Amino acid sequence: MSMLSLQNVSKQFGETRIIRDVSLDITPGERHAIIGPNGAGKSTLFHLISGKYQPTSGKILFRNEEIQGKTPFAIARLGLARSFQVTNIFPRLSVFENIRCGLLWKEGFGYSFWHLLGRQGELNAKARELLVEIGLADRADYPAGELAYAQQRALELGIAIASGADLIMLDEPVAGMSHSEAESAVALIRKITEGKTLIMVEHDMNIVFDVADRISVLVYGEIIASDTPTAIRANPKVQEAYLGEVPTASTDSISDEKPEDIDGA
Amino acid sequence: MKPLLQKSAVWFAYLGVLLGLPLLFDSILAITIFNQMAIAIIFALSYNMLLGQGGMLSFGHAVYFGLGGFMAVHTLVMIEYETVYFSIIYIPLIGGLIGLLAAIFIGSFSTHKAGTVFAMISLGIGELVAASSLIFVSFFGGEAGVNADRTYGPPFFGVEFFQDVEIYYLAAVWVFIATLFMYLFTQTPAGRMANAVRDNPERAEFIGYSARRVRFISFCASGFFAGIAGGLFALNYEFITEENLNAVTSGRVLLMAYIGGLGYFIGPIIGAVILTLMNSLLSNYTELWMLYLGIMFVLTVLFLPRGFAGFIMMHRTAWIRGKLRSLLLPYLITGVPALLFATAGVAMIEMLHHEGEAFHFLGLPLDSANLLHWLLCAVVATFAYLGCKRTLPQLQEAWESANAIDEAGEERERS
Amino acid sequence: MLEVFIFSTLNGLVTGLLLFMLASGLTLIFSMMGVLNFAHASFYMLGAYFAYSISLHLGFWAGLIFAPLIVGLLGAEIERFALRRVHAHGHVAELVFTFGLAFLIEESVQFFWGPDTKNYQSPDILDFPLFTLFGQEFSAYRGFMIAISVGIFVGLYYVLTRSRIGIIIQAAITHPHTVANLGHNVPFIFMGVFGVGTALAGVAGVIAGPVLTTFPGMAVVLGSIVFVIVVIGGLGSLGGAFIASLMIGLLQSYAIASNVGMPDLLNLLGLEFSRDHPLTDLWTLTLPQVAPILPFLLLVLVLIFRPTGIAGKREQ
Repeated sequence: MSMLSLQNVSKQFGETRIIRDVSLDITPGERHAIIGPNGAGKSTLFHLISGKYQPTSGKILFRNEEIQGKTPFAIARLGLARSFQVTNIFPRLSVFENIRCGLLWKEGFGYSFWHLLGRQGELNAKARELLVEIGLADRADYPAGELAYAQQRALELGIAIASGADLIMLDEPVAGMSHSEAESAVALIRKITEGKTLIMVEHDMNIVFDVADRISVLVYGEIIASDTPTAIRANPKVQEAYLGEVPTASTDSISDEKPEDIDGA
Repeated sequence: MKPLLQKSAVWFAYLGVLLGLPLLFDSILAITIFNQMAIAIIFALSYNMLLGQGGMLSFGHAVYFGLGGFMAVHTLVMIEYETVYFSIIYIPLIGGLIGLLAAIFIGSFSTHKAGTVFAMISLGIGELVAASSLIFVSFFGGEAGVNADRTYGPPFFGVEFFQDVEIYYLAAVWVFIATLFMYLFTQTPAGRMANAVRDNPERAEFIGYSARRVRFISFCASGFFAGIAGGLFALNYEFITEENLNAVTSGRVLLMAYIGGLGYFIGPIIGAVILTLMNSLLSNYTELWMLYLGIMFVLTVLFLPRGFAGFIMMHRTAWIRGKLRSLLLPYLITGVPALLFATAGVAMIEMLHHEGEAFHFLGLPLDSANLLHWLLCAVVATFAYLGCKRTLPQLQEAWESANAIDEAGEERERS
Repeated sequence: MLEVFIFSTLNGLVTGLLLFMLASGLTLIFSMMGVLNFAHASFYMLGAYFAYSISLHLGFWAGLIFAPLIVGLLGAEIERFALRRVHAHGHVAELVFTFGLAFLIEESVQFFWGPDTKNYQSPDILDFPLFTLFGQEFSAYRGFMIAISVGIFVGLYYVLTRSRIGIIIQAAITHPHTVANLGHNVPFIFMGVFGVGTALAGVAGVIAGPVLTTFPGMAVVLGSIVFVIVVIGGLGSLGGAFIASLMIGLLQSYAIASNVGMPDLLNLLGLEFSRDHPLTDLWTLTLPQVAPILPFLLLVLVLIFRPTGIAGKREQ
């Protein structure tokens, strides 16, 4: 059974087709990266999966259940969590509250107005644990909006994890970070998504080749290749998409190149 | 245990103040004002559930207050004619239930979105209900309103509620209960998610919550408490009219909450107290109190967007660092000229109003026909304004140094 | 029957065009700055009052020229010193500020002119019937109102679509940053548009004052209806606002002039209720009674079923 299955998914806005007939299968526990030039439709794809947009045609199945057309909160409840390209947290709540809110639904509190959160020992302990895991325990009572950028991204990740989702989707998780910050972030992502399925949109090829089990390349709304990192690296269509032309020299010299040289836009 | 004791201490103090006020100020005027304050506090707190905590700006909140009030008055009439018969201490609950029912009905279609759409729907509903109340004369009494007598209910431990002070104690208990429950609401999942939805409705959906449902719950809760305030109003005045449903009342509660400070639970309480005092005390001294209220409101929005509560809380950092005292002198240096400027300004406005006649301003006789008086005020105003402007930098400096980050301070802050 | 129809259509037209004068300014301001100016009708009121005071000394026509200018200047200054400041605090703060401004202006008007209704007279020159139909007169002043309104709209249309400044304004509405990068002073344009919008409201006040009575509550009466129009027409759409203005103006006019009501409906269904029935207010309801609340009913219905309005463009 595949964790997530996109079957001939298309999306158009008016006359413009952003996603064209995309099919993809993600196996449970897989770490899958989606790469592609800017404007290829990667974020749109995420929006389609997480329920913000409805596909114009095609099906999306999460654990064999059709989720296209469902509201974002219904999909989230099924066990799918995502983070955002632009940091999307609750700025006026404290860091601790941010995480705790992420936990609420999974822990069964629903829309309760009779449980006093201060008294929920188990819930609060879980929130504190998660804070320690993402390295923000010493900032627990700060308003989330006042955190440094990298810390906000870590919090963003924490909220996504908090819901206990089995499928985590991360949209450019290290965008805007310095090299060392990105390194810590990737280590955190690795640690936190142990045993879960991960789909990641990313531009930094180092990270992609480091983390991913499989890579899909999205260009102009179509997946032109979906394979292991080594195979992707050698794939001429991918090279053309990134370099603008297929190198006429022998393919050996290309596959010998270090990953840094094949960098997305 | 210690934090629990600390928190409870605040509530005990609150209860103590509520119960002890009539002992300190026992004039009839004082009791009347306290009763008004009680009603305003519950009303303003209920409004903040929508705006401050939920991010929903409503221009029609008086609907729930008024409907609760009307039902309460009719219930009093029914008690009088013994159609029903129970103690009037439950009347605010009746008001609350009606407010809740109305909120459930109206909330079912108005909580899809927050923002401008919500504000406009609330405006439309408010006008609709207010206008309908003039049409449906049998329930709303038309322009004359409906009145009743609260003394026909069964006595409550011997109290028949003839006196205002007896109503005050009943109101005090209701204020305490209402405040407590509205505060506790903010500590529940529904209350916290309301904050989350206010901050970022999209993100809230992605953690499994329907933003609409969260708003709906806040909306209903706020309608419930507004109805309680309406019921208390009915008990206090034994009289209610269309005015208590309409845009003027809706506007007033918005003012209260905003001036007090939306972002703090205690904000609306402060706002309710200030506005009630202005309404009852200031109106005795000048006919222009509404004008001053308007000026104060606009100035608050411009310069104190977080309200009086926000202004007080701004000093928290300095207080924690123990540097609050260092601000006292700078505040005086800039504050006194500012106060003089305001006073002179008010004097001139009053003189304009009392054209041609002499009157008393703060104990001093003023005459608008007397050019000397005008000159005096203008001179005071000019110098005060200049003085204020000149001394502002030193206040800013003092403020910055009091809030400066230093190592030792950070440690103290953390503990 | 025909005469009732013709006259109520004409009156509806007068009201509708007046409402559009207010709604157009409000729409321009909203399109540009994203803020719904709660105090818009207050500038309408100020227009009437300034014109009244001017007309006492210099006559109606001086009032028509100068009052809108004063109101526009006032609006521009308010934008420059106050609104811009509040803008930084967010949309809620802006709405609350304009709400407070409306309140303050109403109190100030009462302070400076007193709470009584002012005897603001339409000019004698227009005090004759334009035409008489079926024994009813249609005053020249009302014809004048229609003429002025149409004239202003035509002028606005040409300025917005044919003149250079108009094109710049249209661009600044949707792409303020690009326009700023091209070297135009966008804050100044904003201030100008706000000033023109409020001046338009002022003109409406100048010509409506003699007819709709000049008193401190006149802003409240019209204010909510203008909001309804702007929302029904679709926030940000001038065309939608135009349609909605005429629609509401005519609807109210017909409702007031008609004589139908619930009793007629009940008759049709063969039902009858006694006077003591608890819902007797409902059974005796007539359309003229309901006329003032029709706009709000429409507003709620539109917001529920079609929140973007007739031709809505800009979502908050």
